[in-house]
Amino acid sequence: MTFVKRSGTQPLLIVAAACVIGVLVAEPASLRVLHDSKPGESVTFNRDIAPIIFHSCSTCHRPGEAAPFSLLTYTDVKQHARQIADVTRSRAMPPWLPEPQELKFADELRLRDAEIDLIARWVEQGAVEGNPQDLPPQPKFVEGWRLGKPDLILTATKPFTLPPQGTDSYWNFIFPVPIQETKWVKAVEIRPGDKRYVHHANILVDREEASRRQEKEPGAGFGGMEIRIESQVFDPDSHLLFWKPGTVPYVEPEGMELRLDKGTDLVLNTHLQPSGKPEVIQPSIGLYFSSHPATKLPMLLQLENDVKLDIPAGEKNFLVTDDFVLPVDVDLMAIYPHAHYLGKDIQAFATLTGGKKETLIHIPQWNLNWQAVYRYAEPVRLPKGTTVSFRYTYDNSDQNPLNPNRPPVRVRGGNRSSDEMCHLWLQMLPVNFDVAKGDPRMALQEALARHNVEKNQGDFEAHYNLGSMLQTRDDLDGAIREYQEAMSLRPEDATANNALGAALVARGNAARATEFLRKAIQLRNDYFDAHYNLAFALAGQDDFAGAAKEFQLALGIRPDDAGAEANLGVALAQLGRFKEAKAHLQRALEIDPEQPVAKENLEALKRETAEH
Amino acid sequence: MDAKDSMRWEFRFRAIFVLILLAVCLPCARGQQSAMDLDGHALDPLATGSGKVVVLVFLRRDCPVSGRYAPAVQQISKRFADRANFWLIYPDKSDTAQDIRKSVEEYRYHLPVLRDPQHALVKLSHVQITPEVAVFNRDRHLVYDGRIDDWYIDSGWARSAPTTHELEDAIRAASAGESMARNEVRGVGCYISDLE
Ligand code: HEC
Repeated sequence: MTFVKRSGTQPLLIVAAACVIGVLVAEPASLRVLHDSKPGESVTFNRDIAPIIFHSCSTCHRPGEAAPFSLLTYTDVKQHARQIADVTRSRAMPPWLPEPQELKFADELRLRDAEIDLIARWVEQGAVEGNPQDLPPQPKFVEGWRLGKPDLILTATKPFTLPPQGTDSYWNFIFPVPIQETKWVKAVEIRPGDKRYVHHANILVDREEASRRQEKEPGAGFGGMEIRIESQVFDPDSHLLFWKPGTVPYVEPEGMELRLDKGTDLVLNTHLQPSGKPEVIQPSIGLYFSSHPATKLPMLLQLENDVKLDIPAGEKNFLVTDDFVLPVDVDLMAIYPHAHYLGKDIQAFATLTGGKKETLIHIPQWNLNWQAVYRYAEPVRLPKGTTVSFRYTYDNSDQNPLNPNRPPVRVRGGNRSSDEMCHLWLQMLPVNFDVAKGDPRMALQEALARHNVEKNQGDFEAHYNLGSMLQTRDDLDGAIREYQEAMSLRPEDATANNALGAALVARGNAARATEFLRKAIQLRNDYFDAHYNLAFALAGQDDFAGAAKEFQLALGIRPDDAGAEANLGVALAQLGRFKEAKAHLQRALEIDPEQPVAKENLEALKRETAEH
Repeated sequence: MDAKDSMRWEFRFRAIFVLILLAVCLPCARGQQSAMDLDGHALDPLATGSGKVVVLVFLRRDCPVSGRYAPAVQQISKRFADRANFWLIYPDKSDTAQDIRKSVEEYRYHLPVLRDPQHALVKLSHVQITPEVAVFNRDRHLVYDGRIDDWYIDSGWARSAPTTHELEDAIRAASAGESMARNEVRGVGCYISDLE
């Protein structure tokens, strides 16, 4: 009789995941033409200002949207005229952080200098209304769900009450997805709750219900600015599902749908700003399904160098960089830079093999409150060998008004909002690859993990992820070496203990594996994979009673796991307990009629019992 | 003396002039006042609470920075309750009493409220932005007008916490009968003149 390996013995990939997904397209709007007013001529709202406001402001400044007041009529705009002149001059509005550059972003929200001047002149001249005939029609906006009724609407079970005062809150809502079969998602609309109090929100795909462990009670949600999610098998995050003010749901390009399996949770990470009064935040998510599965597999690549973040108190210009050489050709689809409160000048660029340098993004004055995913108007082809770099500077002096510490204190890299971060997420679609040579995303992930290990021998995740990639390539010795490195950094990490154990089982060293798997269980008793893997290790040492017990414990954690049922049946059959064995094999087939271990062994069992 | 210097002189002179004018003219200024409570009765906040400092807090309902200051204003008013009477002043003439009542309740204010549709108190207080405050001493001289503190640096740019506390300093000075260095700094928020 045979045991069949299942994903439980596969490596886990830890993905740091403050990240995200997403992208935002501003409402389609017609191109605006500036009225060619002569310097002496008076500026009017109806003729000169309304087109600018309708194009660049009304998307957010209307009822139900993120901005605090509407800008739809003359009276609306007049009531804020001087402030509008101020905020457009300082370019605080419309919110758009990047400098203009050669590689264009979709839906750039940037006023032209001439438009800013026109607004200033209009205000100086007394904010005149002008001739009613000059007024263009108000823009039309879709009410309710932007893409029509979603195929599935998920609403947070428990709202979060945002305190009226204090620092910003970071709250995570977990949305179990009630689907019975795999679905392909072509669009997601995030409704983050009352939009006026949400700075940004992004969805993380949790395929292992890993985040639920952080909730005090089911459905309660949990706090935290940056969250990380472990995922079984190599299944890298692929989409940026992001909301910021003004976001219109983004429809994925044909073939780039997001996969959602039964049992997947969506975790919505929100950044909330107190308003002065208590606010109840209850987000919902609308999912739009596609009839066909994805054919293209993009990947989110995260460059970071947080280990270099050790910023002395008072340091005005602390530089952190990283340079990563692409191992495959890719199309860069979107970019998402991330730093906390001390971030100042944020730059990313690509250096092609010929030496040509392209700016990917440049934000001269970082502002966490307006962080965003930026999608390129056209995918940017970056050939193999291209170096992708970032250069972030940080201001930890008391001249940085956003510095949360007064007087400044030493700040290091980390996940809390009081720590700093230097992350750059890149949504990349590998192109020009040979399918026979395997998934090109694995080449990217492996190169990145190797890069991170070289940069920082003390990087637990990099060792761990490199181990996972090597294991997937069946380089078990390499994998065991990397897991051991990871373990030496965090001996008390349940995931690493389990992975090392699993790799040792696969290597045929069940006896040594047992020690690590038992340790994993000791560290986390409800660890399904570790029980499952320990069962294998014990079976490998002919301890079928022990194996049966561990499969039973695993089933106590996930009663509907067909693989565990099937393997429990096999273990019982080995013990000669055929009747019980049969019941479990049949139960496995009830859960999954195609379960191969159950099918194969039930046949074998029938033959065996017939013979006797 | 170059042009810039002479301008500065002129400015300073005007500041002093305004002060004198105020001191002399307060009774007549009061006569013109038309602020009213939410039942529509004319009410002069400076004629109340004798022996205490009077603080007018100017707010716009459609101004996010105004809103965010609510807990701070409420806390400061509590801390100085023995020395200062606080009034919330709404200068937007399109606000109805009901709009204001609702807003005050939502922000959990426990302070008396006035509408100032004619901007009588705005003029008396020299305020320009919401949120800004005006502090009148026991003799009802305007001793401070300007921002509450330096929490906001510019629209959309706030510190994690303020590092200066102009309103509290002004109340302390006024209630101790000390004169206050009149170094007003304008608030960050929404212009009151945009409501005219
Ligand atoms: C992408 C959405 C978006 C667009 C487009 C946008 N705004 Fe805003 N605006 C906001 C949000 C959100 C706020 C509230 C900011 C806050 O609370 O700090 C805001 C606030 C403001 C404020 C008040 C600032 C303050 O701190 O009180 C003004 C004035 C303003 N916007 C003007 C404009 C003008 C003029 C335009 C177009 C030229 C524009 N906005 C375009 C989202 C937008």
